[in-house]
Amino acid sequence: MNTRENILARLRGSLGRNAENGAHGRAIINEYLAAHTKGPQPKISGDLLARFCEESKKLSSSVDEVTSLRDVPQAVARYLAEHKLPTQAVCWPEFASLDWRGAQLDVASRTVDGRDPVGITGCHSAIAETGTLILCSSPLTPAALSLLPETHIVIVPAGCIVGVMEDAWQRVRTEVSTGKAGWPRAINFISGPSRTGDIEQTIVLGAHGPYRVHIVIVRE
Amino acid sequence: MEIHSMHFKARAGQKMADVVLQQNLKKTRSKFVDKRANAIRQLDDFEDLRTAAQELRDRVINNLDLWLERFEEEATRRGATVLWARDGAEVCRLTVDIARKHGVTMAVKSKSMLSEEAALNQALEAAGIRPVETDLGEYILQINNNEPPSHIVAPVFHKSKEEISALFARTHGLPPKTGIEEMAREAREVLRPHFLSAGMGISGGNFLVAETGSVALVTNEGNGRMVTTMPDVHVAITGIEKVVPTLEDLATLMRLLPRSATGQSISNYFSLLTGVKKPDDSDGPRHMYFILVDNGRADLVAGEYAAMLRCIRCGACMNHCPVYQSIGGHAYGWVYPGPMGSVLTPLLGGIENALDLPQASTLCNQCGSVCPVNIPLPDLLRKLRERQLKNGLRPLSERLLLRSWSWLARHPRCYTLAAQLGARYLRWLGEDGKRIRVLGLMPEWTTGRDLPAPPGKTFRELYAARARARK
Amino acid sequence: MRVGLLVTCLIDMLRPRIGFATLELLEAAGCSVVVPQTQTCCGQPAYNSGDRTATRQLAIKLLGEFEDCAYVVVPSGACAGMVRKHYAELITDDPALAQRMATLAAKTYELTEFLVNVAKIENMPGNHTGSVTYHDSCSGLRELGIKAQPRRLLARLPGVTLKEMPDAEECCGFGGAFSVKFGELSAAIAERKCNSIHTAAADVVVGGDLGCLLNIEGKLRRMGDETTRVLHIAELLAGVCGDGSEGC
Repeated sequence: MNTRENILARLRGSLGRNAENGAHGRAIINEYLAAHTKGPQPKISGDLLARFCEESKKLSSSVDEVTSLRDVPQAVARYLAEHKLPTQAVCWPEFASLDWRGAQLDVASRTVDGRDPVGITGCHSAIAETGTLILCSSPLTPAALSLLPETHIVIVPAGCIVGVMEDAWQRVRTEVSTGKAGWPRAINFISGPSRTGDIEQTIVLGAHGPYRVHIVIVRE
Repeated sequence: MEIHSMHFKARAGQKMADVVLQQNLKKTRSKFVDKRANAIRQLDDFEDLRTAAQELRDRVINNLDLWLERFEEEATRRGATVLWARDGAEVCRLTVDIARKHGVTMAVKSKSMLSEEAALNQALEAAGIRPVETDLGEYILQINNNEPPSHIVAPVFHKSKEEISALFARTHGLPPKTGIEEMAREAREVLRPHFLSAGMGISGGNFLVAETGSVALVTNEGNGRMVTTMPDVHVAITGIEKVVPTLEDLATLMRLLPRSATGQSISNYFSLLTGVKKPDDSDGPRHMYFILVDNGRADLVAGEYAAMLRCIRCGACMNHCPVYQSIGGHAYGWVYPGPMGSVLTPLLGGIENALDLPQASTLCNQCGSVCPVNIPLPDLLRKLRERQLKNGLRPLSERLLLRSWSWLARHPRCYTLAAQLGARYLRWLGEDGKRIRVLGLMPEWTTGRDLPAPPGKTFRELYAARARARK
Repeated sequence: MRVGLLVTCLIDMLRPRIGFATLELLEAAGCSVVVPQTQTCCGQPAYNSGDRTATRQLAIKLLGEFEDCAYVVVPSGACAGMVRKHYAELITDDPALAQRMATLAAKTYELTEFLVNVAKIENMPGNHTGSVTYHDSCSGLRELGIKAQPRRLLARLPGVTLKEMPDAEECCGFGGAFSVKFGELSAAIAERKCNSIHTAAADVVVGGDLGCLLNIEGKLRRMGDETTRVLHIAELLAGVCGDGSEGC
């Protein structure tokens, strides 16, 4: 008997599994998986944008707002200048056509490598409850850009801010089921710059991921 | 990892005498407790959430065979290979086989308690594959001669920054750093090249999601993401009890886990990893393996300890435990310390190998009162004590004492006499009628404190005398 | 109200004064009190050591002694908790007996919760003047929810100033047999509790369980503190605080 069979046999033995309750059990599992029943959720009402900004700042992300996508390159240039950061970055393809040159930034859409100091991405959605960004991996939204560079800049359309994590799952499910995309290989929830508290339980920012996360919210 | 829990009492003594450890424990003692309290206060209804979490964990545990099969189906459908391991040795064998199959010479690891149970690093090294721990705490332990972790969330809870600085200076050959930020940056720079060149990433799994056949990883440092994004092969090693039904259930647990563990409203990084790199993806592993580990868990299902399988490894119990706070984690002698370790170690490692662990508790229930999935830890510890007694594992002197006490308590006239004698004897032992400094019968009490001397007569004899006088 | 007093083995042998103080308080609250003479121990030492058989025997004995009281009052959170939370589940094979245990459990109270919630005591004989800090014993707090009741009673003594200690809810390290099986650990935990007590800087530390109080007093004295007094709340509320008295 191989290990799999051994483990399952012992579980079945302990649980009194037989054909009948097995079939019944599987039916219940199918029902439960289809129901997507939610647990207790906090009431996140009112201005989701405001709540998202508040929570993001608590996580040590910085937040900026612009009216439209066109304004993003200047906003990013301002941020990088303010913090004396390099003006060279890699971005997701969807932002390649923005006027980075006009903002005196050297931004290319390509695979990130370990030396790129700044990564510019968008996001799938964002959670107001905790100030969290959700990035789904795909050929056009590679995960590494939000991970390797020391500075991560995220362009967040105001309309993609949802209240709670459950809302985000629902969005992904809907997109997958309407054939818009396959289930993403990696769904990464990012809540601020990377950090560690391993040394004397003292939090320091910038462990293996980015040292800083700068969010640019696009209102329109 | 080898079990050393049979040396608990001696080790506990050493830890209490360890001045550096005691200073470190004192510094960190309140941090986890206070942060957790603040985070829990922000929830609308902690009790509601705990009940929901308990129910969803029980839902799986009570039908674990079916849920595992479902998880396996979904994961396989999405391109992962699901393997099963009976024990630590099999975990090692499977992982080494995978590494060899893919020509891996170096593997980066993010945190996996199961890999500690299995002593995986030693097995990889013996097979010529270099494992590199990337979780800062685990990395520190690895370069310190593979020291075991002392806490499940904060592996180097027991170390001061000075100790770590010295360790880094010795290992990296760089000038010693004084600030924690500098040390974190040094570790980042030392480890970064390994992420980018490793052939394999090994992770644990906070949860396995049956709905999507995914593994959920909770980290703060970003190493979990690195380990599962950069290398070509990803191996996720978890216990079989980690299955969670739906993404909604995951959301419920994610409201509790970070708050209970570190007081964060959400962990820095939370990743749901499903399947393998798609043809056009620019990153991600091409090969994904799950190793589902038994190592004693299957035997707990449907039994009197089944509640222990609910555990989501938050560490709140040990953070609030007065015993853990006094000695740290190493004294417990295995992978899991504190209250949850005192239950799991005898159950997974053999009750006779960890006799002291369930006994070394005041049953104060600070642990149970903070457990996000309502595990009745004191009850489970008591059940282990029962089991020890039934299996004849308690010392004869203890059994005799207990037997005598119980017999006396059931025979009131003898009890009355014994109590009166006892009260008079203790009064006689007392200096100035006030205190007893040395109690030969029970030296463990008087080594560390006095025993206030009793007045010498019992309540019942005085009450009877009073009743007689009033007649 | 016909109240049965469960005096507890520790109080019986080591500090009878608490038993008499409890009697006085219950009588001041208008109860008529009986003290079943054959009572010995609630069985918790056996229970926590894993001897369910012995525990069950003691539970049945206690049931017989207290069953016909309207209430059972215990000056100990641990013993009250034992009866209320654990007695019924000891009886797994006899539904009628289990029911009788459940009935007993439902009318068993720790002293302060009885005085506040049931007897609704108005006047107490105690007249202590000075500062007091309160140690929340684990069983009383976490099994029975006793937190506000002793503080409510202390607030009614006009001369008493309550100074809360940090970490009042932390275990003192007694834990019954734990204190003599793992004495060093127990004393280390007790030391932290005593440091908290010193931070409160009160004249008296008060609690509801003699086991905790003996542990705390023993540690304070060994630490060189001869002045902080350690009293059971019954003693303070009943004004039975004199040293060296053998009953009243």
